[in-house]
Amino acid sequence: MTRTLPIPTLLTRTLLTRTLYAEWTKLRTLPGSGWSFAGVVAVTVALSIAFTASVDAAHCPAPQGCHEDTTKLTLSGTWLGQAAVVVLAALVITNEHATRMIQTTLAATPRRAVVLFAKAVVVAGVVMAAAVLGVAGSLLTGRFFLEGNGFTAANGHPPLSLGSEPTLRAAFGTVLYLVLVGLLSLGAGALLRDTAGTITAVLTLFYIAPVAVQFVGDPHWRERLEKAAPSAGMAVQATRNLDRLPIGPWAGLGVLAAYAACALLAGGAAFIRRDP
Amino acid sequence: MTTTTTRFQSSVSGVRDDGAFVSTGRLVRAEWTKFRSVRRWILGVLAMAVLTVGMGLFIASGSGTDANTRPEEVTVGPGGARVHDVFQFTHRPLQGDGGITARVTSLKSADGREMAGWAKAGVIIKAGTKPGSTYAAVMVTPGHGVRLQSDFTNDVAGKSRAIPGWLRLVRAGTSVTGYESADGRTWRKVGTVTLPELPQRAEIGLFATSPGVFKVQREFGSTSVGQSTSVVAATFDGVDVQSRQQAASWNNTVVSPSRAGGDEFQGNDFQGTQSAGTFTLRGQGDIAPRPDGDDPVRLPFTGVMIGMIAAIALGVLFITAEYKRGMIRTSFAASPRRGRVLAAKAIVISAVTFATGLVATVILFFASQPVLRSGGFAPPAFPEPSLTEPRIMRAVVGTALFLALVAVFSLGVGTILRRSAGAIAGIITLLVLPTIIASALPISAATWMMRLTPAAGLSIQQTSRHYPQVESVCVPEDGCYYSEPWAGIGVLVAYTAVALGLAYWLLRRRDA
Repeated sequence: MTRTLPIPTLLTRTLLTRTLYAEWTKLRTLPGSGWSFAGVVAVTVALSIAFTASVDAAHCPAPQGCHEDTTKLTLSGTWLGQAAVVVLAALVITNEHATRMIQTTLAATPRRAVVLFAKAVVVAGVVMAAAVLGVAGSLLTGRFFLEGNGFTAANGHPPLSLGSEPTLRAAFGTVLYLVLVGLLSLGAGALLRDTAGTITAVLTLFYIAPVAVQFVGDPHWRERLEKAAPSAGMAVQATRNLDRLPIGPWAGLGVLAAYAACALLAGGAAFIRRDP
Repeated sequence: MTTTTTRFQSSVSGVRDDGAFVSTGRLVRAEWTKFRSVRRWILGVLAMAVLTVGMGLFIASGSGTDANTRPEEVTVGPGGARVHDVFQFTHRPLQGDGGITARVTSLKSADGREMAGWAKAGVIIKAGTKPGSTYAAVMVTPGHGVRLQSDFTNDVAGKSRAIPGWLRLVRAGTSVTGYESADGRTWRKVGTVTLPELPQRAEIGLFATSPGVFKVQREFGSTSVGQSTSVVAATFDGVDVQSRQQAASWNNTVVSPSRAGGDEFQGNDFQGTQSAGTFTLRGQGDIAPRPDGDDPVRLPFTGVMIGMIAAIALGVLFITAEYKRGMIRTSFAASPRRGRVLAAKAIVISAVTFATGLVATVILFFASQPVLRSGGFAPPAFPEPSLTEPRIMRAVVGTALFLALVAVFSLGVGTILRRSAGAIAGIITLLVLPTIIASALPISAATWMMRLTPAAGLSIQQTSRHYPQVESVCVPEDGCYYSEPWAGIGVLVAYTAVALGLAYWLLRRRDA
């Protein structure tokens, strides 16, 4: 009883604050949310450790001649972490459709745009928190493993530090990348309503380009694919040889942002017009 | 009442005392009815086929090669396969039966660089000096001892690993026998080969050649594989040609499809000199099959990487949808033997995905051929593949089998987790991610990852032939799979078996 808000307080709150509070409560209390949140952090850090522990400066022609992009290497766990983000964000909306909770939600807040906006804010916040933990964990463990594998300052690989501008951009960009992945997944969920369909479609979208790139021999097609697919956002992690990237770091993230915006707009339009 | 009971009993075949036994055949029919009556599952299996074919054609159209414009790439051996045939040849004609004996006194690097394990020097009988013509040779190699090789693909190991060593080749009709000896007195037979295309008048003599040495540099996201040329020098003495004709003079020829000064060699890479019974040959190149660097048959089938995502969703949903709707309780009430329900589901989902997958791969095979040809994958460098060849058949049927196994594996994982979200995301990641990140890992780590994850099953698609007598480098970007075709699919079978086993055990223990 102590946790129940007095009614006057509830009424004085604006519609948006109330909806945000409601969405946060729903997400917080779902049993799957905690698992997804822990999953994002754990798989990101785990895959990053697998990478940094297996790459050794001994694989390079000479320790000084190693052009390894250690920051990008350390943040590689994002490839796996994004799958957990897709699940977390999709469930925020598709689970409500599955359990018919959506009818209660819309009865309480008939302004559907506000509901979807509140969901987007909550998803962005939660994913951002998980991504910050995942990125920080990856960088800390990466620093430890890389130095042990011969990537030392003497060999031209100073320890990873957020003090260096490219690394800071890569770390910050990775957090933004995961947030955008979450928003894209939420938009797709609003559009498709079904959990399995949403997760399958969004993961296909993210993995189709990196897979096809492996097998497409023509360099023009390869570059076009790398530029136009949502995974172009991963370019934000590069800190070396930026001129050789198919797309610039921020431009790549912009491509992903455009995909996320389209998904949210399409999902939002469907969510507002359709019967729940 | 009586009639109803009779009808009930007759329609359930094999009913037991407890009345709870439903035949597997009926269960399979029930599961098939469930599958075909849900529209999105039919759409899903169609999406699997369409995505596989569409992605495959896209990959085929984005691939090309200029191999047919390079003369050294289009030398074709007696079997029709592409071969390497570049070496220094010191020879004289041989009419009818006869033979040659010689001692290789040394085989060394002539350019100061590292020598390849498959550098070779020895005695050879060949139809002529035309590259790709039939031959048999017995030779010494630095890394693999004495070998008897013929017509590029045959390779028989001898006993001796020592240099200097004696070698002998004897021709009788179309059969050629190779011998080795440590002292030139006691001879050991290495083997006999038959060369149906060997003409009456052939060229017999000495040869030396060496393939390049591979250098692999691998950095995050990119691999460079370089093959540096390696020139060897071999010295021979005790050269004796057994022939019924009188001795002819020796000729020196550089056997090569390209002119001297072409890409493949420089002027002083080849040399043949003779003084006081000692022959010195210097050469580079190789006499060996040319492994297919590109595997144009496999290329379009990699579209299955995207098509399989639909198979994953189908396999998972085939069981999790029943949990979501509570239908599973009806299913188990109708057939309390839960293992049989799972088996029936596995049979239905594998049959549907295999049949649809096979239609898709056969269509893809035929549809991709003109696309690949226009990209340069045409004869003579790339002989036209035929569906009846075992290796092509294996790729076409194996890809459908891969889809079916992925669907059953997904059914198993879906049964274990009972939730579609985690199961679908987990399996997609497990199957797709290794291929994406393999290129970023060092080769040893990538090799083990590609061998041990279910993605190993994709190795069933490889159709390029590998030869032990040719060194090759396996990098994932070149579409090289790390497992033998059947071993790779075996890994996926093992994953599927474990998932189904665990699912069966959990089904029996858990509440529905």
